Order: sequence, then structure tokens, then C-alpha cells
Amino acid sequence: MSKVKCDHCHLVFSDTVMIHDGEYRFCCNGCKGIFHLLKDEGLESFYAKMGETTLTPPSEQFEASENFDTPAFFDRFVTLGEGNLAQVSLIIEGIHCAACVWLNEKALHKMPGVIEAHINYTNNKARITWDTKVLKLSTIIEMIRAIGYNAYPYDASMQEVRANKERKEYYLRMAVATFASMNMMWIAVAQYAGYFTGMTQEVKTILNIAEWVLSTPVLFYSGWVFYRGAYYGLRNGAVTMDMLVVTGSTLAYGYSIYITLFEKGEAYFDSVAMIITFVLFGKFLEVLSRKHAADTLDVMGKYIPSEVSILEGDAIRSVSVSEVNVGDTIIIRTGERAAIDGEVISGEGSFDESNLTGEADPIFKRKGDVIISGTTSIDALLHYRALKDYAHSTLTHLVNLLENAMSQKPKIEQLANRLSEYFSSTILFLAIGTFWIWYFWPHTFDRALMVGISVIIIACPCALALATPVATIVGLALGAKRSILFKSAAQIETMAKATMFVLDKTGTITQGRPAVVYATYHETFDHSQMLALVSSSQHPISRGVVEYLDKTESAMETGEISEANEIPARGIVGRAAGVMIAGGNAQLMEEMGIETKTVSDKSLFYYAVDGKLCATFELQDLPKENAFESIKVLRDYGLRVVMLTGDHEASALRVAAEVGITEVYAHFTPEEKEAFIERAHDEGHIVVMAGDGVNDLLALARADIGIAMGSGSDIAIEVSDIVLLNDSLVSLTEAYAISRRTYGLIKQNLGISLVYNAITIPLAMMGYIIPLIAAISMSFSSLLVVGNSMRSRWMYK
Amino acid sequence: MDSWVVAMMLGASLFLGGIALIAFLWGIKSGQFDDEKRMMNQVHFDDEKELNDAADQQKKREALKKREYRPE
Repeated sequence: MSKVKCDHCHLVFSDTVMIHDGEYRFCCNGCKGIFHLLKDEGLESFYAKMGETTLTPPSEQFEASENFDTPAFFDRFVTLGEGNLAQVSLIIEGIHCAACVWLNEKALHKMPGVIEAHINYTNNKARITWDTKVLKLSTIIEMIRAIGYNAYPYDASMQEVRANKERKEYYLRMAVATFASMNMMWIAVAQYAGYFTGMTQEVKTILNIAEWVLSTPVLFYSGWVFYRGAYYGLRNGAVTMDMLVVTGSTLAYGYSIYITLFEKGEAYFDSVAMIITFVLFGKFLEVLSRKHAADTLDVMGKYIPSEVSILEGDAIRSVSVSEVNVGDTIIIRTGERAAIDGEVISGEGSFDESNLTGEADPIFKRKGDVIISGTTSIDALLHYRALKDYAHSTLTHLVNLLENAMSQKPKIEQLANRLSEYFSSTILFLAIGTFWIWYFWPHTFDRALMVGISVIIIACPCALALATPVATIVGLALGAKRSILFKSAAQIETMAKATMFVLDKTGTITQGRPAVVYATYHETFDHSQMLALVSSSQHPISRGVVEYLDKTESAMETGEISEANEIPARGIVGRAAGVMIAGGNAQLMEEMGIETKTVSDKSLFYYAVDGKLCATFELQDLPKENAFESIKVLRDYGLRVVMLTGDHEASALRVAAEVGITEVYAHFTPEEKEAFIERAHDEGHIVVMAGDGVNDLLALARADIGIAMGSGSDIAIEVSDIVLLNDSLVSLTEAYAISRRTYGLIKQNLGISLVYNAITIPLAMMGYIIPLIAAISMSFSSLLVVGNSMRSRWMYK
Repeated sequence: MDSWVVAMMLGASLFLGGIALIAFLWGIKSGQFDDEKRMMNQVHFDDEKELNDAADQQKKREALKKREYRPE
């Protein structure tokens, strides 16, 4: 049997299973369709460009494309320009190679109404501009799907656009500064050589003029950010680091022009360019690692379903959430998330409320029970009546509170900022003092001015400006290696100063899903059939049992069963080898006439074959691995560790006892959690909050540092400052250890630059500093700071 | 050596370097470095067809402009 390549996706299959189409071979109809489409459109050179890459065969299941033409969708994702021009940002799925980018762009360009289509190969984001008169968005998306890719829109929020623009601006400024400084170094070499061996004043002036030309764009274009910073600082009545940089470099620049024109002494142009370049790089590092405050509403948009199905008479209609009125009948299906609060009219099933309450076990709802927005239907298909409209539903209410909480987040001032304020004022004061003393201790005005300026230049803010960014970048890298994502560099310092850790129970300390703690087998039976039965369900309890079986009975095969059927809020029944098998809760067993005797405070799962009880499993939400050890580490640091949960007291106390936490608060609503953090602030604590669900959002946003679990809800990740990608509590303690270490490093670096200044400033005040020494000292102190940070990185692997 | 030689050489090299810098800045500004992966593959997408395609898109844009400015 020979193996052949599919002519579209290039995957290799045996010839017999392929679809033969003349000389071509295809693995599926999807591939065949795309191949012919591309041929008809004259785009077959795609295959030549593709080279050795293989593609994923196209999928047939897509969300209905008409959804993309609804007004609700349009409002959210499409920006209308002049005329009928509209722009949308899409993420394109299935891009494997540069040829895919080419193909998508070409295919879109061939469509009559598309004015511009640009795809970024690195992040697979596309920006499409089209004429709404000629073309509908759904047609565009259908085209992308027709050629074997999928596209879904994303909100290119203003924040992202702004961040990219800011970064680009810095690239430009840095490019200019680097170019000019590097060229000036060559000229400086000539000047220093001339300084020691002698050169004519004429040549010296020529070199000075060249430096003048080069340093001008550095100071006024690259250095513009410092002028701006100094101006805003002054308006707020603060002498900032920017102020020092600006005064130093501007004075040196002016003085050097004077020197150049009157042809006496040494010019400082190279120092001007060097200060600006170094400090600009430091500032860029800061910008790079700054967190862009989450656009909460945007994030929420992803979290809240934008549409719900409502029942009108007998017809089911999809409407935008904001169009739902109180009293409307809403249909919720398995796996869907409720967007609106309401009361069940008919149907029943379990809901996952862990997001809102922290209660890990599914909650069973039937007629008359209340549905809370933000909870997810596990297996329920039911109709419920809206009790509130969208704007007043729990989830929307939470978002409004959230914005409030985020704006009230306390700001812990960074050490470097506080220090630089004192430092800057001191240096400026010293420089002015030096000038006057030299002037009245009779010296010429020139000489006095030069000494005064040299004080400012030698105070070299370079090392000071680099101290914090370089150290935090090292900290960020250390964290990233351990799956700890610090969203913002400044948070490292705050974290290091923390005095109190507040932990959520479900999903943070515990695994957030039930696991089997105790299993009893009453009869001998075929375990493979049981595995097959429980595997057919996605219910958390069934998954817990599957996990247990996988762990205890290795290499067990899944048995043959048929007619596996999930009964909401009961369990699963099926047929194997002609007999009935069933797995589920006590209610299911009772209804089947099977007696169960076990009494437990845990969730129970029974398994029966042919009407006889065979096995009983007890399930419980267990603490994570190493939870006890990790919490002990935190306590050993002298931190106050508190557990908060919305769950009931019994299970809270049990978990707390297991992991060694003595301070426990149970039955907390999201608002109460936030209030708790606020009280802690009032007591003077710097609070770190770790959580994962929507119920922790307010607390996460309000705490000095919010830590989210990587598996937590998207919005929790968005409002938090640190994300633990591996969900482990060990990472939590490591994040704290890294923060402390980084903070130590920042202090060391600041110390180094201060000690350096303590030595060089007196020298400058005595008038011993010439431009060469100023330049060398500047580079040397910066190198020391960077070197010290690198050392820490190598030592702490 | 006369000092004008120094001046001329400095001037000429700074001028040339300045041109390169401006070209680089233009590259950043026009987004040519935004997509590093695509940049590395640019050679695959640089033949006659691409030029034609770009020209077509340009025509489309102009046609649209004309339509907008037409007095009704």
C-alpha cells in the first residue's frame, strides 16, 4: 500500500483512503473544495510558496456567520469610518506559514468591496477595511472559511493601540539617540587623543561643531520625553529625576555651545548625548514592563454572553442581552452561561456556581429556584423568567463595583521615585552652591559655571535611572521561568513589601473540583464498563471518578457500552453486554429501586450493574499538592495568612485545618471580601490577594497585589497583577521570594549609584572633573549596576 | 593635513549616516518592522503578481474616493 500526500494539506495518507480526482489526491472533501476554489481564483501558486509545511484539514463546524451581521456585534467590533468604510480586527486561525498569510490577503483583496486587508504573521491578527455598501462582514468571514481558515473578531481596544503607538515612539527616539551617541564616540576618541597629544584649535572647533550637530536631535527629539516629564513634575510641585536630567543636559548643551563659539575649554556634547541615551533606555524598559490598566468592560464583554435565546410564543429568537426585558422567558442550554438573573419556570439541572460563591459542588436547580448571572449550566436545559434586566443583573452589578475598586487601588510609592526626588533637589542645590562659591572665591565666571555644571553631569543620573528597571527585568525573567507572570514591574516592589496574604479557598488552596477520597467496591464487576460509562459525562463528579480510575487502575481499557445517556441531576445510565448499568447519586439509585446506605457529608457517586449496587465513591474538593508546605513558608516569612471563602463554614474549616491556616472567614459575598481587604488596608497592611473566580474580582482589584490562577476565569486574570500559570501554591511562595530578592537587588543598585556619587561629587565640586572623566565615570557606574543585576540572575537559577 | 579635509570627511560621513538613519526611521514609522516573522519571509512575496495586486488595491481605493466626492 503506497502512501501519498493530500494535494491541499500535504498530510500523508495511504492511497486507498484518498479521494481520487483525476491526477489529484485529497484526504477529505474539505481539502478538495479548497483546492479547486484556489485553482479557480488563480491562487494555486500558494502551494509552491507553502514549501514543506502541512496544513490542518478544514473543519466543517462553524458558528453561523449571520451572527456577524447583527447590530449588537457591529457595535462592539466594527469601527465605521468615512463614507461606508468599516474596519474590523480579526484573529485568523490556522495560519501555519507565510504562504497562508499571502493566501488570505490575496483572497480578500480579490473580493470587490475589500479596500485593505493586512495580516500580521507574528500574532495572526488581521485588520480589514471594507465598503459596507458592497459587502457584508459575514461574506468576508465566509471567504476566509472557504479557503480553509477560521476567523473571529477581537476588540482592538484603544489601550492596545495606544500602547503600540507609545512603544513605536520610543523605538524612534532610541534609534536617533543611539545613532548620534555612537557616532559621537568616534569624534570623542579624536578629541581625547587631541587633548593628550595636542591639536590645533581649528580642528577642535570642527569636531565640536560636528558633535553639536549630532547632539541637537538627541537632546530635543529623543530627550523630549524628559522635558515633558519635568514639566508635569513641576506642575505637581515635585522635583523629579526628569528635572535633573533636563537641567543637567540643557545646561551642559548651552555651555558647550558657548565653548564652541568662543573657542576655549572643553565641550560636553558627548556627555549630553550619553545621559539622554542611557536614561532613555532605562525609561523604555519601564514602559515595556508597565501594565496597561485593563479595559474592564472589554474583558467583561468576552465573559458575558452577548446574546441570549428568548422564547416568544413558540418561536426561539436570539437577542442582544441589553434587549431583554423583565419577564421575558430565557432558554439556557448545557454549557451556556447565564447573562441575566431570573427564576426557573420549567426544566431542571445542575449549575456551576463556583465562580460566584466558591462552592465547588454543582448546585441543582428546579422550578422556582433562582438563576444568578455569571453561573454556568453544567447539564441543565431549562427555561427561566428574567427577574432583572441586564443592567441590574448580578454580573453587571459586579462589573460596576469592579471599576470602582480598581480606581481605588492604593499606590505604594516606589523606592527609586522617592529617592530620586531627594537626590535631584540635593544635586541641584549643590551645583548652584558650588557655582557661587567658585564665583566669589575669585574665579572667572566661565570657570565657576563649568565646575557647577560638572557637578550635575557627574551626578550621572544614568546609574540611578537604570537601577530599578534593570533589576525588575531580571525579576520578571526569573518569574517567567517558573511560570509566574508579573504583569507590571512596579508590582514586584509592592509584593516584596506585603505583610498579609489573603487566599481564596476554592481553586486557590483547593483544586476546585471534586476528587475521590474514598472508594468501596461491594461486588466484583467489569471496571472497564464503569470507566466507559463515567467517561461519557462531562459532569465534574464523573470527571473526578474518571481521574481516580485512571490513577488507581493503570492501563485499563475503556469497555464497550451502548446507549449511554445522561440524566440531568441524576447520573448516567447505559447498556453493556445486555444488562443495564448506571452511575449517579442516591436519587438515581432510589428511582431504580436500589438501596443505598452510606451517609456522608461528602458528595457520593454510586455505580450499579443490573440493579445491584457495585461501588460507592466519596468525593471531595481536596487541597492542592504542597499546600501545607507552601503556606508554612509564607508564615515563616512572618506574614499573616488568611483564608476567605464564600463556601459554608464546615468545609472551610476542614480545608483550613488541613493546610494549617488559623484565620478563616466563611460565607463571604464578593462585596464582603472587598470590605475585608479595605479593613486590612486601614490597619496598615499591604495585602496580597490570591483568587481565581468572579467572586474574588473585587478583592483582587482592591488588594495591593492581586494574584490569579492561570486556570481561573479570564476576567480574574485580567484584573490581577500576577498570574500563576501552573496554578500551584509553590509558585505563590516563589513569587514572593523572587519579589523580595528583586527588591533587595533594587536597593543594592541604588546603593551602588549613591556610593558612586558620594565619591565623585566632591571631586567635581573641587573642580577636578574634566569631560573625559565625566564620560568614563558615567559608563562605569551604569556598567556596575547592570553587572550587579546580571550577577543576581546567574546566582539565582 | 589641512583641517578642511577633516571637516569635509566628517560632513560627508554624517550626511551618509543621516540618510541611513532617516531610512530606518521611515521603516519603523511605516510599520515594516511590526511583524518580525513576515519580515523574514518577505522574499517569497515580492514578484510581479504582488505589484499588480498592490496596483489593483490602489485603483479600488481611488475609485471609492471618486465616488465619495461626486456631487449628488
